[in-house]
Amino acid sequence: MAETRDVVVIGGGHNGLVTAFYLAKAGFRPLVLERRSQTGGAAITEEFHPGFRCSTLAHSAGPLLPEIVSDMQLERHGLKLIQPEVAVTALSQEGRALVLYTDVKRTTEEMRKFSANDAEKYSEFQQSLEKIGKVIGQVLKQTPPDIDDPNRSDLWGMLTTGRALRKLGKKDMYRVLRWGPMAVADLVAEFFETELLRATVVARGIFGTALGPWSAGSSMVLLIRAAGDPHPAGSGNFAMGGLGSVTQAMTAAAKAAGVDIRTDAQVQQIQIKDGAATGVVLKNGDELSAKFVISNADPQRTLLKLVDPIHLTPDFVLKLQHFRMPGTVAKMNLALSGLPKFTALNGATNLLHGRIHIGPEIDYMERAFDESKYGNFSQQPYLEVTIPSLTDPALAPAGKHVMSIYMQYAPFKLKSGNWESRRDALGNTVVKTLAEYAPNLPELIEDGQIITPQDLEDTYGLTGGHIFHGELALDQFFTMRPLLDWARYRTPIKNLYLCGSGTHPGAGLTGGSGFNAAREIAKIAKII
Amino acid sequence: MTTGSKYDVIVIGGGHNGLTNAAYLARAGKKVLVLERRHVLGGAAVTEEVFSGFKFSVCSYVVSLLRPEIIRDLDLPRHGLEILPLDGTFTPIPNGDYLWRVNDHGKTRREIARHSKLDAEAYEEFGKAMQAMCRFVKPILGMVPPEPSTLNPRELMKLLFIGKRFQGLSSDDKYNQVQLMTMSAVDFLDQWFETDVLKATMSASGIIGTFLGVRSPGTAYVLLHHYMGEIDGAFRSWGFARGGTGAISNAIAQAAREAGAEIRTKSPIARIIVNNGRATGVALENGDEFYADVISSSVDPRLTFLKFIEEKQLPGEFLEDVRRYKFRGSSGKVNIALDALPDFKCLPGPGAHLRGAISISPSVEYMEKAYDDAKYGNFSRRPYIDIVIPSLTDPSVAPPGKHVMSCFVQYAPYKLRPGLNWDEQREAFGNNVIDTLAEYAPNIKDIIINKQVLTPLDLEREFGLSEGNIFQGELSLEQLFFLRPVPGYAQFRTPIKNLYMCGSATHPGGGIMGAPGRLAALEILKDAKTTLRQQSRRVAEAAEAK
Repeated sequence: MAETRDVVVIGGGHNGLVTAFYLAKAGFRPLVLERRSQTGGAAITEEFHPGFRCSTLAHSAGPLLPEIVSDMQLERHGLKLIQPEVAVTALSQEGRALVLYTDVKRTTEEMRKFSANDAEKYSEFQQSLEKIGKVIGQVLKQTPPDIDDPNRSDLWGMLTTGRALRKLGKKDMYRVLRWGPMAVADLVAEFFETELLRATVVARGIFGTALGPWSAGSSMVLLIRAAGDPHPAGSGNFAMGGLGSVTQAMTAAAKAAGVDIRTDAQVQQIQIKDGAATGVVLKNGDELSAKFVISNADPQRTLLKLVDPIHLTPDFVLKLQHFRMPGTVAKMNLALSGLPKFTALNGATNLLHGRIHIGPEIDYMERAFDESKYGNFSQQPYLEVTIPSLTDPALAPAGKHVMSIYMQYAPFKLKSGNWESRRDALGNTVVKTLAEYAPNLPELIEDGQIITPQDLEDTYGLTGGHIFHGELALDQFFTMRPLLDWARYRTPIKNLYLCGSGTHPGAGLTGGSGFNAAREIAKIAKII
Repeated sequence: MTTGSKYDVIVIGGGHNGLTNAAYLARAGKKVLVLERRHVLGGAAVTEEVFSGFKFSVCSYVVSLLRPEIIRDLDLPRHGLEILPLDGTFTPIPNGDYLWRVNDHGKTRREIARHSKLDAEAYEEFGKAMQAMCRFVKPILGMVPPEPSTLNPRELMKLLFIGKRFQGLSSDDKYNQVQLMTMSAVDFLDQWFETDVLKATMSASGIIGTFLGVRSPGTAYVLLHHYMGEIDGAFRSWGFARGGTGAISNAIAQAAREAGAEIRTKSPIARIIVNNGRATGVALENGDEFYADVISSSVDPRLTFLKFIEEKQLPGEFLEDVRRYKFRGSSGKVNIALDALPDFKCLPGPGAHLRGAISISPSVEYMEKAYDDAKYGNFSRRPYIDIVIPSLTDPSVAPPGKHVMSCFVQYAPYKLRPGLNWDEQREAFGNNVIDTLAEYAPNIKDIIINKQVLTPLDLEREFGLSEGNIFQGELSLEQLFFLRPVPGYAQFRTPIKNLYMCGSATHPGGGIMGAPGRLAALEILKDAKTTLRQQSRRVAEAAEAK
């Protein structure tokens, strides 16, 4: 006799936990099934070397929607967010450092060292992002409208968005319309002249995507991220104990709200009867029947792997196969016997508290992108580095440090060879690149963890190694995420829903997708 | 200083849009003067005898987008326009094979099937889908873009109209439309086809005249833009004008003259005369001045606003937007006088394959690499080349037995990397094109009588195309529809009263289409009517007062 639940959530990533929490609040008793031995998905902290703990994948939050932080009372459940004064430190090859503080005024002062024009433009840019971000923020919290027959709330959503757009005034309204499809390299050129600043800001438009700074549409990615955080280059949004403590707090909050969570429970198949989901089958053979099945896994994994395609129209399958998920990111975590000395910073360790940007010029980043187009990983990669043990010493033994590095571009599909055979080459490239800025880094390395795009798929269930469950591009945003007509968290299978980053709004560790999905599902469930 | 007589409208520039604009205005009874800088009319749609006996369509070389309503309204066939069919696209491949698509569906299907059965199937479907998309977009090309920042009901209706049309599309068409507006040409084609060369050669029309690569988002739209072509109601059909593309301009000019328009060549404009925010005339470089109620400029915004008008006459934000408007010429042209026909390794001898377009676009990677070179300020070491040999279809353009060959070459970035300049690179650029061709047709070097190389810099100097952009500004999403050329001024009007834009820099953009010239004319006439009404009302009121 199969166990019966009202709601089963496949996957205990941050979005799955958020959805489960809100559905529990709405009076359901969701069961979250997590394949791995701990919840958290891509927001986890693990010990990768005795005594050294680190955010295995994501090392900086989206940031989280404020609603989620307060509704789930994450602080009360043990979450301590860290936002260092230094947001980003960008390093140039000539040994210069550009420091962007969380505080705009202070950043403006810093910018004066480089360019009076940029110092002035910086706050203008930041203000514009803030204004525009508010409007986009509204859109991100909406369920994409049903284009064929918009219901009342759809129309209301469009209306309020339209009004908000007008409220921006002609100038900023046109900026939204004009910037969206633009290449982020063009966008920054409209404001700044300092190459290092340009290169630092464009990073926000391409991080985690298969776009280069010169790719049209990369500005939209930046705008979407600005909705959560108007800081032009993004702030450092860390958590005490690594990002794992974000999802641990979410887990605690969900449990407190009445959610059951089962780890080491891999869903093998979603059971479907007469076009409606009726439950799931676990790898160990257990069967669970459920009124509603909600998947935190990416759209392709959910509908092409867990669902038997015979339940879907060939047309839908084809379109979903075309949903683009070309992973471009690799991750490396280093256990260091000491703090590396960055030439440009002559000992000012506080400048290492934020995110460290390696990608001195736009052309440097574009060239890194070029290689990935032809199936090679960048020999001179763009890196986003953090040293969390500086703001949270507990992560490493006394005097030692952990370094968390995002490497881009590392295409999931290699032209030659496979990632297993290229793993060390990838690691060496990252270290070699970093050593150009911190020469003593190599001798400090006690151990390292290299996570290739293949690992992202195999170990963490990110299809195609795409950390956002699908490419962030104009053709996969809003009403098109994951597919036109299926952007409302529903699927062609009755009672089967999506709540992961492959749905609107996607982009980054904000919990937005889970938040919206819960609202929609609760609405529908109430009607039934 | 002589002072010319007063006109209703002065049109700056005798390109196809300027002439179309003039023709429509003249037919509406306006007294029109067209002023062209060069000795010939046509702008970039011009035929010139570059070498004695060899007549070249110097810049633009094929016709397809020319709006049917313009051909009808202006009765162009009667004025000497004759379109000859350009059948098919021949794409040689280094491995000795080729892909040869023709207008005959059956043939093309069999040909594609040689490469992939699946693609042969998909090709039909693709054609149908693209036609549906064209039908959706066509009326938008024919409409004056809405002004989204106003609450004016008429403008909102336009947006609603588009929304409703979109809603009316089938689910699949919606899906395709959204993708076409946002995707890269290759990503879009990847969903339909597996044959690399097919995707490569089709994606080529997605990059023409842009500084984008076949993998750059936004290029799918340009692909569609080039599908919009329509000759005798048949979508996606391309042709030559007998006597070269100049014949199109001449036919339009004839129509304009017949309607009473006055056209002067060798009349370069020095400035537009503006008195307290109102355009009243133009001054030529030779000092002559001409006055008119309306000035309609078919040259691009950079020339119109930054060269012909003093800064102080224009609002700062507008100037900022004009300076920001992207040209980024990315192509050059090599026109070659041939002693005989090129002989392709993969399909030797003369034949029908030489009568259509010959496309050097052997693989997607080839196309993308060509773009990579340009991104860093070099002309493509191995460029995309679109070749036609009009003399095969229209013997009148070359001496008996000889031929003219037109090579459109991309990428040739207007801004070369520091240290290089086009005057020094011109020869290398031309030779590189020949070397590239020689890899496919080795005899090319022995049959060249003479060649004309046009770099982006030459296009700017000779034809007044800023930065050598053949569309008077990039066809990138942020420069289309109500954003073309700049936000708030997409309705052919400008911050200066009585000054209008009617060139390719306005909606719906480049190509020998004539739509901007026509739409601008209609707007000018609309405004003229309203002012007339206002005047008569004032007179009436004055009469009543008495």
